[in-house]
Amino acid sequence: FGLSSGLTGIHVQYTLVLILSTKPCEFGDLVQIKKQLISVISLCKERGLVHSVKWASELAFALDPLPKNELPPPAIFTEEDCQDLDAFGLAKSYFDLKEYDRAAYFLRGCRSQKAYFLYMYSRYLSGEKKKDDETVDSLGPLEKGQVRNEALRELRVELSKKHSAGELDGFALYLYGVVLRKLDLLKEAVDVFVEATHALPLHWGAWLELCNLITNIEMLKALSLPDCWIKDFFMAHMYTELQMIKEALQKYQSLIEAGFSKSTYIISQIAVAYHNIRDIDQALALFNELREQDPFRIENMDTFSNLLYVRSMKPELSYLAHNLVEIDKYRVETCCVIGNYYSLRSQHEKAALYFQRALKLNPRCLGAWTLMGHEYMEMKNTSAAIQAYRHAIEVNKRDYRAWYGLGQTYEILKMPFYCLYYYRKAHQLRPNDSRMLVALGESYEKLSQQVEAKKCYWRAYSVGDVERMALLKLAKLHEQLNESDDAAQCYIIYIQDIFSCGEQLEHAEVSTALRYLGQYYFKNKHYDEASLCAQRCCDYNDAREEGKALLRQISQVRDQTETSSTDLFGPLSSNNTPVRRVSPLDLSSFTP
Amino acid sequence: MASVHESLYFNPMMTNGVVHANVFGIKDWVTPYKISVLALLYEMTTSKPIALQERRRLNKLILPLQQGPDLTLGQFLKTVGECCPQTAYAVKLRLHEMADGELKDMEYFFATLPTPFRAIDSEAYKTSVVGLFMRHMLLAYNKLSFSQVYKLYKALQQYYHSQFAQPGVSPVGIPGLAADNTDMDLTSTEDTMGERMEKDELDTTPLHESDLSRGPLSQKQAEYFLARQAYLLKNDENKALKPAALQDELNNMLKFNPDFAEAHYLSYLNSMRVQDIFISTHSLLHYFDRLILSGSEGKSNGDEGYGRSLRYAALNLAALHCRFGHYQQADLALQEAIRIAQESNDHVCLQHCLSWLYTLEQMKGSDSSVLTEDSVKMAAHFCLPYLASLGIQSLVQQGAVQGKTAHELMDAMKETDILHWKHSLSELIDISLAQTTSIWRMYGKSTMAQQQAQLLLNMSSLEQVNFGVHQNNTEAFAVILCHLAELHAEQGLYGAVSEILKHLKDQFPPHTQHAKLWMLCDLKIQFDRAMNDGKYHLAEPHVTAIAALNKTEGLYRKALVLKALNRTTEAYSILQRLQLYCEKTKYTEMIIRVMLATAELHWESSGFATALPLLLQALSLARQHHLQALASETILHLAFTQLMLGVPDQALGVLHEAMEPVLAHGAVMDKGRALLLAARCQVTIAGAQVKTNPHEKSAQTLGEAAAYFSMLDCKERLRDVHYLQARLHHTLGQTAERNKCAMLFRLLDQELPAPGAAVAMRL
Repeated sequence: FGLSSGLTGIHVQYTLVLILSTKPCEFGDLVQIKKQLISVISLCKERGLVHSVKWASELAFALDPLPKNELPPPAIFTEEDCQDLDAFGLAKSYFDLKEYDRAAYFLRGCRSQKAYFLYMYSRYLSGEKKKDDETVDSLGPLEKGQVRNEALRELRVELSKKHSAGELDGFALYLYGVVLRKLDLLKEAVDVFVEATHALPLHWGAWLELCNLITNIEMLKALSLPDCWIKDFFMAHMYTELQMIKEALQKYQSLIEAGFSKSTYIISQIAVAYHNIRDIDQALALFNELREQDPFRIENMDTFSNLLYVRSMKPELSYLAHNLVEIDKYRVETCCVIGNYYSLRSQHEKAALYFQRALKLNPRCLGAWTLMGHEYMEMKNTSAAIQAYRHAIEVNKRDYRAWYGLGQTYEILKMPFYCLYYYRKAHQLRPNDSRMLVALGESYEKLSQQVEAKKCYWRAYSVGDVERMALLKLAKLHEQLNESDDAAQCYIIYIQDIFSCGEQLEHAEVSTALRYLGQYYFKNKHYDEASLCAQRCCDYNDAREEGKALLRQISQVRDQTETSSTDLFGPLSSNNTPVRRVSPLDLSSFTP
Repeated sequence: MASVHESLYFNPMMTNGVVHANVFGIKDWVTPYKISVLALLYEMTTSKPIALQERRRLNKLILPLQQGPDLTLGQFLKTVGECCPQTAYAVKLRLHEMADGELKDMEYFFATLPTPFRAIDSEAYKTSVVGLFMRHMLLAYNKLSFSQVYKLYKALQQYYHSQFAQPGVSPVGIPGLAADNTDMDLTSTEDTMGERMEKDELDTTPLHESDLSRGPLSQKQAEYFLARQAYLLKNDENKALKPAALQDELNNMLKFNPDFAEAHYLSYLNSMRVQDIFISTHSLLHYFDRLILSGSEGKSNGDEGYGRSLRYAALNLAALHCRFGHYQQADLALQEAIRIAQESNDHVCLQHCLSWLYTLEQMKGSDSSVLTEDSVKMAAHFCLPYLASLGIQSLVQQGAVQGKTAHELMDAMKETDILHWKHSLSELIDISLAQTTSIWRMYGKSTMAQQQAQLLLNMSSLEQVNFGVHQNNTEAFAVILCHLAELHAEQGLYGAVSEILKHLKDQFPPHTQHAKLWMLCDLKIQFDRAMNDGKYHLAEPHVTAIAALNKTEGLYRKALVLKALNRTTEAYSILQRLQLYCEKTKYTEMIIRVMLATAELHWESSGFATALPLLLQALSLARQHHLQALASETILHLAFTQLMLGVPDQALGVLHEAMEPVLAHGAVMDKGRALLLAARCQVTIAGAQVKTNPHEKSAQTLGEAAAYFSMLDCKERLRDVHYLQARLHHTLGQTAERNKCAMLFRLLDQELPAPGAAVAMRL
């Protein structure tokens, strides 16, 4: 409990805050950065903000060690600290043992900032703990949603009093923000978090909370944030969240160049970013590097397993799964990895079981809901799949995979009109993802709405078709509608596309394209191109006979028209795509 | 292996990947409010004699209290106190005992409750409503764990003390908070005042969820709430919560229990009210996504239950698009529904699809009678009385427009009525009455129409939920009331009209679905009035408004205004266009009216001979479709034409044919016009002779006409009548009367702005 809230924080002596926030924060001065990190680690540690400690320590570890004389001095001890020393020590020990009420009781009279923070933080965590306990023990299922952290209101009242009096330090501001967020007062929370970052820029927890509250780029631009090296980390993280992967990668690259090349945090973030733009090779390489540097890491490993799954790398996935089980089998990530592993081995029941387990560990784990939906789809249990996807959507309305999955489910149930809505939703969320567009196009095609279908396929091609199916489908559609010029043009681009990407996929489809083009040229009396296509057809098993037949036809026609049949068996032209004679058709006329 | 897995990681919330909303079978649980209700029941069963009347009132109260949402103690005691102050006091006392006592007092209370299993002869026996409730509560209470019991007790104390605060004990005192406050008190008094204020403000302001008076609804309460609201939305929208409030309530419910799928459906209905396509689509799909799950719960093989809801999901989507006028989408969705229904041989669903199909065709304006007939046959075959008679009603409607004979239609209506009463389909009974009214009106039988309308209005509702209430606000009622308004307007009873319209406005506020009906009706009445009064400038703005609601009607009215303003060419071209359009859509009534208007245009250019064939055509059309009112109107036109062509004998003969129905059923205006025309014919016939007899007869006719016109306050025509009267009296040599009429004429002539069309030139 409490851990998921990402709380980290402590309170700092004013003097130190001044040092930290006013020092020039340049990347050039890695020594300074290291010093700042070391001091903030100790501050956070005192206050029980474990996640921030972890983040800062990871970063500090990536930098060169400091010589002895460069180590930052221990925090300055004020009179108040001195008075509270014993109570604070006692309370901290209770706090570490998760006896929050007890900790709060012994801290109630303390005057120092540090003790005040721990006092409030203990009360907050105690409320959270009780809330979790209540959820299990509630009076009825409907009451479940109503269980609240009862301490929040009081905390808010007290903190807001101090806030308006200007008595809160960076850590307390952060706590205030968390309280506001928990009370759904998001606007106020954003303001307070921004204030917290100004008061104590080095506290990563505050930045992270801010990150969760920012929903779009305009909102991000409108914030006035402190100018500090940590802001770059924040921006990079933010860009990843907002799916602005290119900018994020740039940021991370510059951070690496600035000297953080050894940071596992940055490597993992870049890998995730590559995963998001489906650059699988890059992402895999980075994850492998990460595993080498940090073999016992569990975070982000679910993403890694997704990549391995997509590439069907069974042995690697199995190795990863076994490894993670040895490290800690009761982690959400571990369960997801195992789920992926079973799924790849087509043991879908077991896969679903493990995703369920992941959800038991953390019901708000979005990925697991969606993945479980996929598993149920594989098991043909459509109703359960729909349920799982709906849950995913409830957790996050912007989960395009769940919307897409719902669409697919209904498509399987042969309800093309019904699934349109879901595909449209998915498309709204990922306007530049060709998969949704192709799915939309297919549904429209099934509904005999050819105009819309054409628009979708063309758009899918224009945004960069991942599966390289859009053009083929478009061509076939044109073929059906007897728009032979358009169809030929599409096949030509399709063939160009296939050959230019160099991979050997879907031979059958290339042969279809060639076959059609051959016939097309033949009909239009472009015999040179026709014979070229026919010859290429002969390279493919399924089109060989037709290719030969076409060649015979061509030679017959040529004999009749007694044109020189010599160049029929002449050398093939170097370019293997017959683009020359076809008039450039205005395909853009039906782009949406 | 697998079984080991399952037993290890079995999640009670999940079987087969499906999370059930109601895992533990808890539909209800004990809350402080429920304890108060229990206390009330306890007092009622065990106690002292209560006066019979008070007892009756209390008994009536029990069900709403059991089913309704949790009330605060104050509200609860007030409600009970209104019925029986003595019992309310006893309940309060009992609660006080528990809240100010100890935990054991509450435990004792539950122990002493009369157990429904034991008390066989009391009202609390296990099969009674009260007994069931008590049983639920006892079971729920017995299931509570130690900490839950303690929590319940705490909640009870708070519940009681929030109403009757105790000075001695501070209600919820957190030691830390109290300490802080005293600290502050020491510093300065002013400060604390400010802070107290601030604290109060903070407490009351944006923490929207923590409205203590309204806890979450239990499953039972939620079900009751949803059923009630859904019923109201269907039958009496005004009584349902306002759209925004209802949505809030639903969101609240869904927040506490996202699995409560029915709330999504209500949210769909609710957003339909405000024409919000996004939320309604979203909610509808969400509902069916959820329903698919609960459907599979019933049958383990899954396919039957949830395949069914899939079909209905598609069908509902079609209905939604239909409602928003997206016919193409509706068509696609419907085809999909039909396809999957066919694949799974679901005839009932197919039947529903078919009835939607013909509705859709009708809405698109194409002929769908074949489809409808099929639908009726199939529905009868599958024993679906609702669909069958809905189909018949739709057929009757089409038949009426297409000129089926009246007795066929009436027979069909009678047959369906028998069906309705047999199956007590009260909704269809309403529709059937409304339809009969409309048909009678179309045929021009105003008395019959009025009678049918009154029948519906005075009929008590047959729905169980508000049995005995006279009116719902369904479409049928809106239609009937509009007819009534128009009928009254025809008789010149404008006071009554405005009252009816006011009622309509109250019952169907402008944003609701059926509001367009009365809006159009209102505009038509105002337009007619302005035209009759000759205030064309007033009529003109109405045309735009009418056109917005009904294009054809708007076009027709525009032509009328243009004609009245002597912009003949424009009027003519519009009428031509309209006629072509109406012939295409087979809108017979409008065709005839257009023809009459065209004929009137011909008169203005003295083309009486050209008007004649047009009028004859109109007459045959009207007769063919049994449109008596329009037929009489045509005959009036015909007679006038003949009069103008110089055959007054013929004209009078024709006129006599129409006189009877006009006097019996016609509007006051028509009666006046008919009489005026008759008088003119008589005068013309008698013109040459000097006999007094016919002249006196026509004077009498004119007098009657004058009476009708003055009823409508139609001054132009009144002036004409007075002129004719004066001339007539002059011929008869009755000077005194002549002078009187001449004076009346003069008065009106001065009053009216411009000289109207010549007397001779209009009907």
